Amino acid sequence: MEVNTVPTTAGAEVAPPAETFQPLIIALCCNWCSYAGADLAGVSRIQYPPSIRMVRVMCSGMVHPNLVIEALTKGADGVLMCGCHPGDCHYQEGNLKAEKRAEAIKLMLADFGLEEERFRLEWVSAAEGPRFAQVVRDFTEQIQKLGPSPYKP
Amino acid sequence: MAAAARLAEEWFAICGGCEVTILDIGEPLIDVLKKVEIVHMPVIMDHKLFGQTGENKEMEIPAADVGLISGGIRSDEHKKLAIEMRKKCKILISLGSCACFGGIPALNNLYTTEEIFQKVYRDSVSTESNGLPNEEIPALTDRVYAVHEVVKVDAYLPGCPTTPEMVTNALVSILEGKPLPALPAKSVCDECPTKREKKAVSTLKRRFEAPEFTPGAPLTEMRCLMEQGFLCLGPATRAGCSGSDGTPRCIRAYMPCEGCFGPLSEKANPMVDMMGALSSIGLDPKQIPDRAATFNRFAGAGRLRPTPKR
Repeated sequence: MEVNTVPTTAGAEVAPPAETFQPLIIALCCNWCSYAGADLAGVSRIQYPPSIRMVRVMCSGMVHPNLVIEALTKGADGVLMCGCHPGDCHYQEGNLKAEKRAEAIKLMLADFGLEEERFRLEWVSAAEGPRFAQVVRDFTEQIQKLGPSPYKP
Repeated sequence: MAAAARLAEEWFAICGGCEVTILDIGEPLIDVLKKVEIVHMPVIMDHKLFGQTGENKEMEIPAADVGLISGGIRSDEHKKLAIEMRKKCKILISLGSCACFGGIPALNNLYTTEEIFQKVYRDSVSTESNGLPNEEIPALTDRVYAVHEVVKVDAYLPGCPTTPEMVTNALVSILEGKPLPALPAKSVCDECPTKREKKAVSTLKRRFEAPEFTPGAPLTEMRCLMEQGFLCLGPATRAGCSGSDGTPRCIRAYMPCEGCFGPLSEKANPMVDMMGALSSIGLDPKQIPDRAATFNRFAGAGRLRPTPKR
């Protein structure tokens, strides 16, 4: 089935066994760096698993923990938050705020009975298309190892 | 003069502070009492549930126009009485944070009933370990419930204790046939006059340390208490305690908000909101010893549950 083909690396498409768990990952990407990085991955035709649903946000610093917790408790298997590299934030220190919040998010995941690894914060610049694809590949693999979220309906 | 409105009041898992608040209304209470006939109120009057000589088999509350319930639901008796109150009262009001969101007793929801029994009747050092009480007392419910989780409630008067002004306004609105005042949709921070610069100037402090302020100077010159390092639940707490004064009650006393007016909405999770607010201004969220209980201190019903065993 076409939906189940997981392109792992550029050009080489591998059809996985039908029962492979295909995670649902919400990717929150900042408008200025990471979303452009993801766009670059797209226009460069770099292949990565179709596990992410991307949400463009103006800055990683605007993502409050409740958005992440809500995504995870409503059925997402993982949340990937991407922002500009420290020092590169369009709003000067939005990404530093995101970094501090990430700590709080990881602490709270345990309270909700979730693994800390279901949330990841990554810095992806507008020039790092291949890196974005790599991050998605790694994270998808990690979530596949963890299995579906206990909150999955 | 129109016939007096009949008022019934019942108390469940509560300290009794909200009943004291009714007394605390002061002079306006005299006018209100002229128009009210209290038909049932265990705290001040002798009206027995099974009839005055215990002749009835079922608990009964006389019919009333207004019913006030304070306290969360902790036992089968509370549950039955709440249903009886709903049947007999035209308007039912949750009085105080315990009735509205479980309040302090709902911190129990962090543990299972078995764990609580074990601690209270066996493990506690000052306890002589005897059997569990099992006769002639109502059984505990599986957790503490807010009143609206069991029966429909028409209005909420949160606060620990609630404010005399709110009780008066609600009673006067009912007596005048006006709609009950709605709760504000703002947070305590929206009403707080202190200076905010969105950056903490200190690491987390214990609440018994003194905040920095100039005595006598207006509150607008004091730095936000959270930015001074105090755990203030203002960002995740509903406004309303300020009343006609305009300044939140605890802030008026240079104290951080405790969160007694409850979360901003029915679905809000104050712990997540507060952890976000703390880390956003640069305080270390790891330093909070018991975040679930600290940030849900008054809102445990439906929010706190025993930690999942993993």
